[in-house]
Amino acid sequence: MDDLLSEFLTETNESIDVVDVELVRLEQNPNDSEVLDNIFRLVHTIKGTCGFLGLPRLEAVAHSAENVLGKFRDGELSVTPEAVTLILASLDRIKELLAALEETEAEPDGDDNDLIQQLDACAEGEGPAAAPAEETEPAVEEAPVAEAPAAEVQEEVDPGLGRALKAGEVSLEELEAAFNAAPGPELEETEEAPSVEPIVSDAAEESVDDSVLRDFGGLPGVIGAFESALEVLVQSGKCPALGDPDKLARVSEDFGHLTLAAMNQDDALVKTVADGLQSAVVWDVALLASVSAGMRSELSSFGLPSDELDVVQTALERQAHLIVPPAPKETAQKSATDKNNQKGASNQSVRVNVDLLEDLMNLVSELVLTRNQLNQMVRRLEDSEFAVPLQRLSQCTTELQEGVMKTRMQPIGNAWSKLPRIVRDLSLELDKDIDLEMHGAETELDRQVLELIKDPLTHMVRNSADHGVEMPSVRERAGKSAKGTIKLDAYHEGGHIVITISDDGAGINAEKLRAKALENGLATEAELDAMSESQIQRFIFHAGLSTAQEVTSVSGRGVGMDVVRTNIEKIGGTVDMTSTFGKGTTFYIKIPLTLAIVSALIVESRDERFAIPQIAVLELVHADAKGENAIEHINSTPVFRLRNRLLPLVYLRDVLGFERGEHTGEAFIVVTQVGSFVFGIVVDQVFDTEEIVVKPVAPALSHLNTYSGNTILGDGSVIMILDPNGVASQVSSTNTDSEQDDMAAKAADARMSDRETMLVFKAGNETPKAVPLSLVARLEEIDVERIENRDVRPTVQYRGQLMPLLTMNPETVLREEGKQAVLVFTDDDHTMGIACDEILDIVESDLSVEISTQREGILGTSVIAEKVTEIIDVAHYSRQAFSDWFSADRKKSNTSSAKAVDNANLLVVEDSAFFRNMLRPLLSAAGYRVTVAQDAEEALQLRERSRDFDLIVSDIEMPGKSGFEMAQDIRAGGRWQHVPMIALSSLSDAKDFEKGRKSGFNDYVVKLDRDALLETITEQLNAKTQSEAA
Amino acid sequence: MTDLYSTSQEFVTLRLDGQLLGIPVLQVHDVLKAQNMTPVPIAPNWIAGLINLRGRIVTCIDLRARLGLPPATEEDDVTGMSVVVEQNGEPYSLLIDRVGDVLKLPLDDYERNPVTLESTWAEVSAGVYRLDGELLVILDVERLLDFAAFSQAA
Repeated sequence: MDDLLSEFLTETNESIDVVDVELVRLEQNPNDSEVLDNIFRLVHTIKGTCGFLGLPRLEAVAHSAENVLGKFRDGELSVTPEAVTLILASLDRIKELLAALEETEAEPDGDDNDLIQQLDACAEGEGPAAAPAEETEPAVEEAPVAEAPAAEVQEEVDPGLGRALKAGEVSLEELEAAFNAAPGPELEETEEAPSVEPIVSDAAEESVDDSVLRDFGGLPGVIGAFESALEVLVQSGKCPALGDPDKLARVSEDFGHLTLAAMNQDDALVKTVADGLQSAVVWDVALLASVSAGMRSELSSFGLPSDELDVVQTALERQAHLIVPPAPKETAQKSATDKNNQKGASNQSVRVNVDLLEDLMNLVSELVLTRNQLNQMVRRLEDSEFAVPLQRLSQCTTELQEGVMKTRMQPIGNAWSKLPRIVRDLSLELDKDIDLEMHGAETELDRQVLELIKDPLTHMVRNSADHGVEMPSVRERAGKSAKGTIKLDAYHEGGHIVITISDDGAGINAEKLRAKALENGLATEAELDAMSESQIQRFIFHAGLSTAQEVTSVSGRGVGMDVVRTNIEKIGGTVDMTSTFGKGTTFYIKIPLTLAIVSALIVESRDERFAIPQIAVLELVHADAKGENAIEHINSTPVFRLRNRLLPLVYLRDVLGFERGEHTGEAFIVVTQVGSFVFGIVVDQVFDTEEIVVKPVAPALSHLNTYSGNTILGDGSVIMILDPNGVASQVSSTNTDSEQDDMAAKAADARMSDRETMLVFKAGNETPKAVPLSLVARLEEIDVERIENRDVRPTVQYRGQLMPLLTMNPETVLREEGKQAVLVFTDDDHTMGIACDEILDIVESDLSVEISTQREGILGTSVIAEKVTEIIDVAHYSRQAFSDWFSADRKKSNTSSAKAVDNANLLVVEDSAFFRNMLRPLLSAAGYRVTVAQDAEEALQLRERSRDFDLIVSDIEMPGKSGFEMAQDIRAGGRWQHVPMIALSSLSDAKDFEKGRKSGFNDYVVKLDRDALLETITEQLNAKTQSEAA
Repeated sequence: MTDLYSTSQEFVTLRLDGQLLGIPVLQVHDVLKAQNMTPVPIAPNWIAGLINLRGRIVTCIDLRARLGLPPATEEDDVTGMSVVVEQNGEPYSLLIDRVGDVLKLPLDDYERNPVTLESTWAEVSAGVYRLDGELLVILDVERLLDFAAFSQAA
């Protein structure tokens, strides 16, 4: 393709994208003249360039659009959505034409009269000049026909213009004429005095314009005159730059147009042409003067009166400041424009073909690999003379790599540029009022990734506008502002970019989605019951659900969300969402910054090494051959207990079809996440992670979805890169849907929500010990040398305090050397440490504590992870460490408001023995008399027996009657009707809080928050005392 | 393979399961000794593995498997050598038993495939040269590496 044309295409496409965005802005702020000027300038440039390249259809459309914009600018037309839509439509037409142009290098046949008529009608709508707009059309249509030889030109002159034709220049001139036809009369009436030409515009000149040109033989005559004048200059050696006849012709033409435009006072065109001239030759004032003088003498040979020639010459010379570059006035003007126009720094940048960048990137990748290879070789040599130069090479390579990566980085705003337009169109179409906010548009990422997320992003924003934001009336009824907002946000996080798309719309109706999921057989009723709302909402990513049309109408969301998910996962990203029904929906997308170089974990299976992209790897777990940490089988399906959760496993050797051997010995489990599906890949060996350059696999292998690519490692060997998606599809092939597993697992998690997270450790003997993790402030490894006074009462200086170090039991011995593992418990200004031998795990477990009182410091035993575990009584040790830990004295001396009301009678209703045993010492130490009940029934029996309490602390989830029910019962009447009640629960969201209040609880405390509990008790008791006193 | 119709052409000769094969010399980028190959599990059996050839990853094609020949035995005196050819810019190395001479052969000795040639062979053979006492089957590299076709075959 012609260089000129391809550059034109690139530039025009860019301009159009900008105009797209700017127009939407204009529509929102119709009075923003800066935006309007920018649009006008861009459209004008498009028009001007089209004219020069001889593209009549494009120019005609651009021209008519510009007309309308001109009226906007002059305030003759107000910026209405209809008018903007029309201009956007013409931009779309221009895009179509450009696309065709790119393909065939010629404008497609056809005409744009429909659009032009609409535009012109729009321009006329409120404009005073009705006639000129109509003229545009015929002028344009004439263009292709009017291929008349130069001799006939004068007969065909358009009377309004003095337009004439020259062979080979037809279309250009016709367009020029078309261009001039419309604004001509409009100028007379409306154009403000052009700022660049302060002296201009006496009526005389206007009238000359026609006659002068006619006398000269029209535009070609003027051009001819310039041509001769320039030829003289070239021959005299004054302007060697124009030695090339083609260039000479082009410059002459430009001068002709410039003169004509100057005489017509079309500043915009003057500017465009002047720019062209400026770029063709470096002009100075003298040279320009020679041109103008030469032209004059040339024209005078037509026998024109000198005053007419003066007009032409001055018209030209007045534009000199536009053509001669460093004229100060122009510079000032330019710098002003630069501020508005980011492209002002264009001379600081170069356009580079993308292919070239790709090649560079590949070369750099090769270089990195070779460097790595060299590094490995040199590392084996001792005192190699290559070490130093290699280090330098290594550094340069890294910098080069970074540099080249940077050239591929583009702001994510490029992917967003089309969104304002889309949202705007949609909001018009749907009759909604939607605001699109974009933050972090400058966040950069690899252009390859950018290209790949463009469509999913567009789709999601479209979805938000279409299905998320409600109709204005609905919004108002819901108490929201009529205008909906869609917010886009992008930021870097680690080696990733996070994009969020949120709307304040209707949110996702989990109920409807649930019904649909059930109907489509995606989950059973029982499974769905176990799921939380957000888990059900995630069904919108589900293929079976989102593609079905009728679901869309019900769920209000989800056309192709599975496709979005697939596309994002394809590039190693993840997508998630949260939605509150009635409030809105937020999608989170996390994608790698670049696909070219990724960090990968190198693993081995059957003596072959494979790479797993690090982004998919959650953690590595070592599985023993047998014992508690071994892989178990359910009917030959391997699973692994990972923190009390069953992790589905897949043996890499099975995935890869290696011969099935007996699964013995140790193994490593690579816990992998694909989307929200977590599974383990069992490998024989794990090596380190390595930065690898991903290369696509050969076409002969591309059908294997187990691999996402291959690469060359530092040691020069080739290695296959596993695609976690592909592997996952194998794991769940028997299950057809990976997500269901996940959902079920999550549901199971949800059921466990009233379980406690326990820290399991060993101390003294082999029996594992456990303590609620929430009680532990820190885990520390303390240098044994720092332990002072170790025989009597061991103490450590810890964070500027003396921390007593306790041993769990007499068997525990503090280490003699190295580091001592210590559990640190803190409370206000008290800190104590309990020495232990080894931290084993953190486990979520239900606390069915078997009480044993035989041993001090042990609350009882519980089965955690299938092992009998002793639950330690922290209170016991803290009493050892500080006699005042729980004492009321301390609380009294504290600034804490939790001042115990002495001897108040408390009833604690708690089904969990563990908590009962935690609470009783705690509360009695604080100075209360405590009675405990195991459940609601037992508590209510106490009421029957006429026991009185000052306050009741109760658990919520209990077997039999729940805490809520009990509270309702108590408040319904009877002895305890006015006793303050405090709910104690691990559930802590606002909804539960509200429910608690409704059923009669006075306050709500999260389990294990000791301070809050004490404080609340005091508060409630004081309140009670006061109300009784009153 | 329009080159075949000029007056003479040069071929790299290869030995595979006793049969003499030829590849136009201009299509051969490299002749390699036995390499350390990275196998590709679950790939079709005619993919022998991948090698690193000066920083490029080359896919190795087991030509015996590709042509439906039995695996090599001791008697075949396999050298593990391979010739590297390209298809659409992607390098492939063809594993053969042995590499022979480069022969310049006059077009007069060229003949089309005999119609009775077995289909696997007919598909990848671009014709036959009559040599003294032996026939040279010219491999059509393009068709040999038309992976869409051999995915079906595999």
